[in-house]
Amino acid sequence: MAIRDDFEVVALQVRTVLQRFALALLVIAAFTAMLIGKADTVLVENARVLALDLASPALEAIARPVAVANRAIADLKEFASLREENARLREENNRLLAWQTAARRLENENDRLRDLAKFREGPEASFITARIVGDSVSAYVRGALLNVGRRVGVKPGQAVLTGEGLAGRIAEVGENSARVLFVTDVNSRLPVQVERTRERAILAGDNSAQLRLTLLQGVAGVQRGDRIVTSGHGGSFPVGIPVGEVVQAGNEGSVRVRPFADFSRLEFVRVVDYGVTGLVAPTSAAPAPPAAPAGQKAR
Amino acid sequence: MRADGLLASLDRVGRFVLPGTVLLFFVVLTLAPLRVPYLADALPLLPTLVVFQFSLATPERLPGLLLLAMGVLLDLLLGGPGAPVGVSALGFVLIRAAVVSNRRYLVGVPFLFQWIGFCLLSWGFVALVWACTALWTWTAIDPTQAMMQYAIVIVIYPILGPLLARVRPRDPLNVPELSRGTAQPGETTT
Repeated sequence: MAIRDDFEVVALQVRTVLQRFALALLVIAAFTAMLIGKADTVLVENARVLALDLASPALEAIARPVAVANRAIADLKEFASLREENARLREENNRLLAWQTAARRLENENDRLRDLAKFREGPEASFITARIVGDSVSAYVRGALLNVGRRVGVKPGQAVLTGEGLAGRIAEVGENSARVLFVTDVNSRLPVQVERTRERAILAGDNSAQLRLTLLQGVAGVQRGDRIVTSGHGGSFPVGIPVGEVVQAGNEGSVRVRPFADFSRLEFVRVVDYGVTGLVAPTSAAPAPPAAPAGQKAR
Repeated sequence: MRADGLLASLDRVGRFVLPGTVLLFFVVLTLAPLRVPYLADALPLLPTLVVFQFSLATPERLPGLLLLAMGVLLDLLLGGPGAPVGVSALGFVLIRAAVVSNRRYLVGVPFLFQWIGFCLLSWGFVALVWACTALWTWTAIDPTQAMMQYAIVIVIYPILGPLLARVRPRDPLNVPELSRGTAQPGETTT
């Protein structure tokens, strides 16, 4: 009996101490989590991937009705400007038809020249179409969540494209989900070139809507309206994917670029595997993809 | 007299898990691709609002360990590469502690003062996350965006707060001590 009483007293004391220091313990636990995150990045990466995989079915359930609602709102807005839009499109169509003729002629010419020069084409790209099920956009991150993952062959470092141009690259891959890091994220650095002058540069995001261009050789040649495309250096992306256009070219190295991809209206994207995985190695020991990508072959 | 039917126990369980479930919902909702112009920006701060409101209403149903887990989950879901994991957890725990220690005052005052309390605490939260993220990644992060989020969530509070606070008046013991008078917990009129 006495032993039991002693035990109860000790238990009570322990409980009082725990209650008194509960806050301190919780704070210490939070700091420990932060330290672990800093020390063991692989563990955190795996935890992130697990969390994404768990959350993505729920998000997908939310994403579909939200997408319908978004589209309905966009439709309503478009009704208002149908006439102007039509006129603009007709004009654009005329211009594009002219371009099409030019492109056909150039393609033919290119084919013939390649035949003459025995040019070997780079690896063919395959792509996977994915739905965006989540925005991971906060004050500190610019990214999105896709509903495709390792199972269909998505790998870290692959390019993510919209119809207009490059959106970002795959940062983390789960079994059935993946996280894209947009080019506008503060962690994004992209080797690019100015299409007109072939000048090489680095395109960096800073979490704002526009990108910052840092040229490797002076900024003298850059003008407003210059198109920026990937340069293929660093081995992550091939040459020539359109990224954006210069909207502001100052003389003090402050060249701002507007990305072609419209991040506020993304719904579907293409994850493209160009077969070039250079510097961007997978962070964790990911098992080899079990099957070939389910996407079609792109030309 | 306590009813012990199936419905009653369901009701009790429901009440017990409600705050945690609502918090989990808002944590997952942070990632939802809502393209509503201003609301979408404020989504990452809505869990803070839930933590504040439920810490005020029923802190015993939102224990510190649960907040810790939810904070870590939020950081895992939201964070990009290199962002600290656990900073939201720290913020949540501190908000709960601050609310609980001032609860006696906060419960009895008009809504405006609760709003002011939320403004102060969530400002602390935003500042904490910003400072930690900046220190952790060792980059000067532009605080404009974080401040924008803060401003929006402050405006949202009067809309969402009372809605969440509806769990409070339904619980008979969870009324301010002043309005409870001399009644003790468990005491009923016969």
